Amino acid sequence: MRKHNMIAMILAGGRGSRLFDLTNKVAKPAVYFGGKYRIIDFPLSNCANSNIQVIGVLTQYESVLLNSYVAQDQRWGLDAKDSGIYVLPPREKSEGFGLYRGTADAITQNIDFVDQYDPDYVLILSGDHIYKMDYDAMLEDHKKNKADLTVAVLEVPLKDASRFGIMNAHPDGQIYEFEEKPKNPKSNLASMGIYIFSWPQLKKALQDDVLIEDSEHDFGKNIIPTFLSEKKRLFAYRFKGYWKDVGTIDSLWEANMDLIYHRDEINLADPAWKIYTEDITVPPQYIGPEASIENAYINQGCEIEGRVVNSVLFTGVKVEAGAVVKDSVLMPFSHVKKGAVVQRVIVADEVCISEDVTVGSESGEIELISQNA
Amino acid sequence: MNNILGLINYDDASVKVQGLDNYRPIPSLSFLARYRLIDFAISNMTNSGIRHIQVYVKHKPRSVIEHLGSGRQYNINSKQGKLRILTGEEATQSEAYNHDITAFLQNMRFIEDAKQEYVMIMPSHMIYTVNLEEVYQQHLESKVDVTVLYKTVNNAHESFIGVDTLKLSDKKQVEEIEVNRGKYKNRHVSLAAYMMSKELFIHLIHLADNISSFYTLRDVLQEQAPLLNMVGYPVKGYVACINSLDEYYRVNMELTDYEIGKQLFNPDWPIHTRTSDSCPTQYTPDARVKKSVIANGCYIEGTIINSVLGRGVIVKQGAVIEDSIVLEGSVIGENVHVKRVVVDKSAQVSKVKELVAEENSVLYVKRQDRV
Repeated sequence: MRKHNMIAMILAGGRGSRLFDLTNKVAKPAVYFGGKYRIIDFPLSNCANSNIQVIGVLTQYESVLLNSYVAQDQRWGLDAKDSGIYVLPPREKSEGFGLYRGTADAITQNIDFVDQYDPDYVLILSGDHIYKMDYDAMLEDHKKNKADLTVAVLEVPLKDASRFGIMNAHPDGQIYEFEEKPKNPKSNLASMGIYIFSWPQLKKALQDDVLIEDSEHDFGKNIIPTFLSEKKRLFAYRFKGYWKDVGTIDSLWEANMDLIYHRDEINLADPAWKIYTEDITVPPQYIGPEASIENAYINQGCEIEGRVVNSVLFTGVKVEAGAVVKDSVLMPFSHVKKGAVVQRVIVADEVCISEDVTVGSESGEIELISQNA
Repeated sequence: MNNILGLINYDDASVKVQGLDNYRPIPSLSFLARYRLIDFAISNMTNSGIRHIQVYVKHKPRSVIEHLGSGRQYNINSKQGKLRILTGEEATQSEAYNHDITAFLQNMRFIEDAKQEYVMIMPSHMIYTVNLEEVYQQHLESKVDVTVLYKTVNNAHESFIGVDTLKLSDKKQVEEIEVNRGKYKNRHVSLAAYMMSKELFIHLIHLADNISSFYTLRDVLQEQAPLLNMVGYPVKGYVACINSLDEYYRVNMELTDYEIGKQLFNPDWPIHTRTSDSCPTQYTPDARVKKSVIANGCYIEGTIINSVLGRGVIVKQGAVIEDSIVLEGSVIGENVHVKRVVVDKSAQVSKVKELVAEENSVLYVKRQDRV
């Protein structure tokens, strides 16, 4: 097999339990976002746009849908002869069956997969975030710094820094200290959980880590501290742009609203950096004679007869005449019947809101509607 | 259905969508926001289980080749199925010789080599849905030579002009084929879609060639109709024939009515097309939209009434689009008013603030034009 310069490994095993019913049957990376996408479309499309040819996706929690979703690698244009997306759930081995015990362990258990491609570098990503990033530019930085590990960081307001893993770095970008959720942060460079490792170094660190009994086999808790204590070259790569963890109902709603209110920050219409996704065969959107639409993000297949304000509507959503949808996110094939009022809610896919029913409220918390109402 | 070879034939020489067809052949004309005309014929074939399809393209095949690709989007498997794009490869002395029979003759070995025993021939410019499996069943059971798809219409005096009409017996036997000159309202119009054995098809190709170098498949079928055992198969539901700019416009407008559109868009009979990976369409707080069909990737700050917008159309503040069709990637500038206009791809209307066609007429803005 032809040697690959860098392959990507996406950690997509997490449940995302703060998304409640949205992740009952699917892992968080498969949760819908932005009118037509799923969260994992973002790291996958970033990889495709960054000219990465081979991607391993490490899945664990409720992985049936996610596995079959990402295995359709032509959606991201990764179906050429030497490219592909490979689904890597835990497997039975000669020494027994083991779940992935931590983020690092997921890679350790797939060292054989990575070695097949004999890469110089491995990009480690999580499948949980919404952002557009050129990993190729990050790799250039990694090479220029002769780094062993490059960590993508985001400048966060100092007052929020204690919620993140903080990288303390010299002005040239070299990291000298890593603090997980520090009480008194010394810097505001938050780790985005995006790492480029030189593969031989990472492989050795993983093989050592697996033998340490009290290790949690976690990149943040174990591998990065080990790299630092061994005086390896760690560099911070500053990312500027939109980045959002959509791990809660509030943040998922907010990130969807960002598409309407902050197009300058997260513009998905850029033809030079498309986000690719499943191609569902549906007609174009039909807007009825009595419809009214203001400030909305609407996908194909929708039929709008009612009023839609400040909302994101996914594939095939129906809003009947006299219905009002306001400040809401309506996931695929949900249906708002005549006279219903939907306000400040996320309606899960295929959920139906009956005639004249009101869900949500004008000013309350964002609610998740996951059952027919 | 694996015994049927699908053939997408040249559209009839009388099909002229003035303006638009200068830039692309009829099969790849943009239609109803996100489709190309050919999507309907190919989706009918693949939804019916036909897996081997030949598409004949006369001129400018580039857009057809790009749109169809390997046919994966239509559910044609890359190994067990085949979508073949065929062009008339040898130059003909004049356009009069450049017709479907010439193309079939030039590609005869691909027709002969196909292992299928039957052919289903359809053009691109007829828009409807039909389950060809039912057509095939009827064809086999009735043991006829040719099954021709038709639609009984009551607007033949206005639409379907120049199209063949069928004179049918009580048993739907085709007794005579004549051209619709628009004299009558009620006609059985032929959809130029035929099922027959491959053997008969090959025979008719050679027969046409022997009779006249100008003969098309349509001509030879018209002439042979009384001698052949030919029956009609009535197509249910919505049928349109896109054979002029006026009809292109009228049909797009008619389909902005969802009650009519629904007849074409049955979730159990999806019309497949190539995705362009556009993001959803964004409407700003100033947007106002009524009775329109809109593709993805648009950015709408203005007013849209009774119109069809292709992918990635930008409608700026104060712009008003009424009774119009705007194709992919065009921009309608600030405070511009367009009415009864077909704006071709990637055009910009910004300097002229009032672009309104006279009653009962349609204005056409050229591809990539700046007005």
